Amino acid sequence: MIPLDPFVVEVIRHGLSAAAEEMSLVMTRSARSPLLREAGDLSSALTDAAGGLVGQGRDIPIHLGAMAYTVPELLNVWPAERFREGDAVIYNLGALGGNHLNDVKVVRPVFVDGRIVAFAISLAHWPDVGGTWPGSYLAQAVDTFQEAMRIPPMPIVSTEGVNRPVLDFILANVRDPVSCEGDLMAQVAATQAAERRIHELCAQHGTDVFLETLARLHDLSEAEMRAALGDLPDGVYEGEDFLDDGGPGGAPARIHVRIAISGETATFDLSGSTDRVTNFCNTTPFIARSAVCYAARILSGRDMQQNAGALRPFNIITRPGSVFEPGWNAAVAAGNHETSMRIVDAVFRAMEQVIPERLSAGGPATSGLLAFAEPRPGDTWRMLYEVHGGGEGARHDRPGSPATRVHLTNTSNTPVEVIEANYAVRIGEQSIRRGSGGAGRHRGGDGVVRSYRILSPSMWLTSCVERTRVPPYGLAGGEPGLPFRITLERGGERSTVPGKTNMLLQQGDLVTMESCGGGGYGPPAAG
Amino acid sequence: MQDTGWDIGTDIGGTFTDILAVHAGTQEARIAKVPSRPTAPVRAMLEAIAAVGLAPGEVRRFVHGTTRVTNALVEERLPKVALIATAGFEDVLEVGRYRREDLYRLDVPPKPRPLVPHERCFGLRERLDHTGAILEGLTEAEIARAIAWLKETGAESVAICLLHSYANPVHERMLAEALAPHVPHLCVSHEVNPEAREYERASSTAFNAAAMPIAVEYLSELEAKLPLGSGLQVFHSAGAMVPVPAAKRRPLVMAASGPAAGVSASARMARELGRPRVLTFDMGGTTTDVCLIVDGQAEMTDTRMIGGRPLRQPMLAVHSIGAGGGSIVKLGPGGLSVGPESAGSEPGPACYGRGGQRPTITDANAILGYLDPEVKLGDTITLDIAAAERAVAPIAAELGLGVTETALGILRVANAAMARALRRVTVERGVDGRDCTLLAFGGGGPMHAAGLADLYGLKEVIVPAASSAFSALGCLTADFSFLQQRTVRLPLDGFARKVFEERLVELTHDAIAPLIANGIPAREIAIEHVALMRYAAQSDSLPVPFALPFDPQAIVQEFHRRHHMLFGYATEEHCVVESLRVQARKPSIIPMARPNVGRPARPARSRRCVFPGIGATDTSILPRETLGGSVNGPAIIEDAWSTVIVPPGWQARGDDAGNLFLTRSTA
Repeated sequence: MIPLDPFVVEVIRHGLSAAAEEMSLVMTRSARSPLLREAGDLSSALTDAAGGLVGQGRDIPIHLGAMAYTVPELLNVWPAERFREGDAVIYNLGALGGNHLNDVKVVRPVFVDGRIVAFAISLAHWPDVGGTWPGSYLAQAVDTFQEAMRIPPMPIVSTEGVNRPVLDFILANVRDPVSCEGDLMAQVAATQAAERRIHELCAQHGTDVFLETLARLHDLSEAEMRAALGDLPDGVYEGEDFLDDGGPGGAPARIHVRIAISGETATFDLSGSTDRVTNFCNTTPFIARSAVCYAARILSGRDMQQNAGALRPFNIITRPGSVFEPGWNAAVAAGNHETSMRIVDAVFRAMEQVIPERLSAGGPATSGLLAFAEPRPGDTWRMLYEVHGGGEGARHDRPGSPATRVHLTNTSNTPVEVIEANYAVRIGEQSIRRGSGGAGRHRGGDGVVRSYRILSPSMWLTSCVERTRVPPYGLAGGEPGLPFRITLERGGERSTVPGKTNMLLQQGDLVTMESCGGGGYGPPAAG
Repeated sequence: MQDTGWDIGTDIGGTFTDILAVHAGTQEARIAKVPSRPTAPVRAMLEAIAAVGLAPGEVRRFVHGTTRVTNALVEERLPKVALIATAGFEDVLEVGRYRREDLYRLDVPPKPRPLVPHERCFGLRERLDHTGAILEGLTEAEIARAIAWLKETGAESVAICLLHSYANPVHERMLAEALAPHVPHLCVSHEVNPEAREYERASSTAFNAAAMPIAVEYLSELEAKLPLGSGLQVFHSAGAMVPVPAAKRRPLVMAASGPAAGVSASARMARELGRPRVLTFDMGGTTTDVCLIVDGQAEMTDTRMIGGRPLRQPMLAVHSIGAGGGSIVKLGPGGLSVGPESAGSEPGPACYGRGGQRPTITDANAILGYLDPEVKLGDTITLDIAAAERAVAPIAAELGLGVTETALGILRVANAAMARALRRVTVERGVDGRDCTLLAFGGGGPMHAAGLADLYGLKEVIVPAASSAFSALGCLTADFSFLQQRTVRLPLDGFARKVFEERLVELTHDAIAPLIANGIPAREIAIEHVALMRYAAQSDSLPVPFALPFDPQAIVQEFHRRHHMLFGYATEEHCVVESLRVQARKPSIIPMARPNVGRPARPARSRRCVFPGIGATDTSILPRETLGGSVNGPAIIEDAWSTVIVPPGWQARGDDAGNLFLTRSTA
């Protein structure tokens, strides 16, 4: 082991964060799809040669957590020896440290003096990956084969340039190939940017020092996480929360966690959660771990670099056959951002009595997705992905904020003026849903109302929203917030649109989305 | 103009007001610093004029940059502002864009409160579409309803932001005319920021409305005390000067105008010294500002966050980080870190001996011997090195290192944070920072510059003559200019030449009008055109300068070239001109002599200083005023207000104008 100057460790840590932030900047500045450039549904990460996360951008926690598994699982099927300098591979399979098929990863090994010292991962949520329904979210999908194109690891670029047959195969299977190519090139460019920065870091400090520093960063975060666990009282804590249903018309589906804290380690057992569900809310064990890691970070109450070392003190258990280990053929599009969020909520409920001051009440723990797909001349589609936040849950010392994102997601809305200039949709209203936050000593934040008037003859709608039946909970005696509601007005008739559905809209239809309010904290004052 | 009287530039910072005065005839230059007076800024300005030995009657021209407007906005000392938006969208400020900065913290609110509270937001019945076509007209009855409501609120200032007003301002204009008699201050979004994306435009307009009462009061007092007519000017955050009446209408052009002035002076220097790529490094007490200058032009940006809320207007792309000389050093789980918490001016760094207990970057500099223990800083502070050592000792103990080694480490970590800021401004523009010259100014810039250059691989550092009052210099030497930008969204396939030319004529008129109103003949005004272009499906645009007559093919080629340079690829997709930017400019020429910093001559001395790799060593301390030839490091070059460190392995050379050039020794 090389003795490390603690200051060099800090300098390299800054360099890794800067490189990951630069990747995301390249993406948002040069990508095509509004989902990437306006909503920012993308993430960037760097790993060590074994795939352990060492640096990440300020992106989306669920992606960042899952990317801890993206490279290690890849290396199981694509041994490191197969890589040549200048290669990058593309894939989206859930089994390879994945989450759902829309999140396409481009992974580039970074070589120094002929050996791999790091990997750069650019993850982007593609607005369409083919499959049954434009947008690739099929609420009633029987299996994942109906959802979207499945991409096993394939070489997308090498020193020879773009691998045209692979690119053509992918573009032949998506509904907006022009935007898709631009988005994919932006991902490739992002990994190139990371490669340049890592080369600079190695040149400046020496490759051995760089590699040793990565190991040290893991150790530092591990030590911090262990110390945080040591500060929590030993014991077994159980908590649960519910998905609105486990399939059309079904009862709320249980997500359960049993947390055993012992000294400086903790076990999170999710076995008590529902079996595989019959809609697209199944997910992968990687997503379960990603959600646990986020929740544990909040429980720790400490600041640390989020990396693979911070995961070491945890044993995370999922049960085969459950919603978290449903088999690799299960439909998973929504589980990524819906079921995962319920883990965070279950953990919060479990710890409610122990450390309420570190938590917040229930909030818009859903993607809040409405996707509008419009068929266009020339057999292409134009995709408007609307992702909505709501009211944040209140805390012991403050009310919840209105109209915001919580926990595992961090996407933006798309401006009204951008939507109207690009899509056959007119926004009727966008406002705060007053009074939707739950009452309490501190009130939950209010949700949002946005309505969409359809201007084209045909529009294909997808909804993917939880918290339409099971509302965001209050904490420590606070009241729950109002649940999500989606309504359709057609020819003077109003009807409720289910939270998870696919349907055809007509010209003149008005779809109104009212997002949930946050839960309150503490009992409301009497009178 | 006559060549008698003095031209003055001032930069009103949080702690000090810097002043630089140049005599129009003799070119004599004088520099001074006086304490800023947050509650009486005009008085501080008059004191600054007195400090360079002048009376107001001797001043011919007075240009100032200030953080006053930005500070008021950041600290939320706001007047009562109202917002009028399209009905159904009046919550625009409260809805925002959802995204949060801190991923893993629940203790901090994810977003700031809206600048205008819900009860002072009004929904106006009217509606345009994105082409500017009227879907629902604005009626007299609706205007009357708005007037009645506004009177009810008692607002001092009103912001008007209607949907798609960048495409057609007709309703905003109608409403503004009708409201003007009923409210002291009013501003409309199509003037403040005529660009798409309603939240960013509304936020900018609300900021502007909030700033108006503060700015108008302050500028009016200044006009009364310094009745110089058109000679009284304000520095613009886009890097130029504007006359006071224009600044009263759009006070946000003063936001961060002090840092912009320093960058503007740097751009001029880059042109004069023939340095194609320059990074500015302005390190103050609590923040450090950096900016990239390519071919003598500072990079521009469109958006800056103030207190978590966007301000969108064309500005110099000054990137600020919360680390300066007074930043607190902490040892946390992730390692050593500096800032953003600062010791401020009270109590200040531990070595100022005013009760500061926690270690700062300045304390590390003091421990290493870089600060003069014999000189009183600002006549009030005497350096207490033992106090600095006591403050750093706990960190040293925890690391198992000596205090001196720890101080060296603190500077490395501080420099790493600075290097990250430099990287940020270079990579955003696709520039390899290592080809740049570092131009260092402000209190801490010249002290840290060589160390930062070593870390970042830069080959040359320049410390300009007036480094301690460089932003004040920028106020004085900047061009007189005005800039207009507007969303046009013109596709280049099936290019609509007529529309394009109409927009260009309108923008050009708006850009030159303030200059002509200030007595500048039209023939002396230079016009620069920039198209902000993107692939049709992208959202971010790249600036592409163009000449007239307009050649669509040439500009498309230039766009592809720039995209490839920045992102490493270009495609065959269609591109569009998202916005047009027109800048009208009247170059200014201020010849000046080597500045007099007002300090008696001192002999050369030496003291023990510590440098990385070689430990404590006797170091020459040289007075900057009389420096001749070249000096090999280790050495320290000082004047009344600045300390330039020349580390071992570097050498410094002065020129006749008083600039210092630091390069690595060839040996």
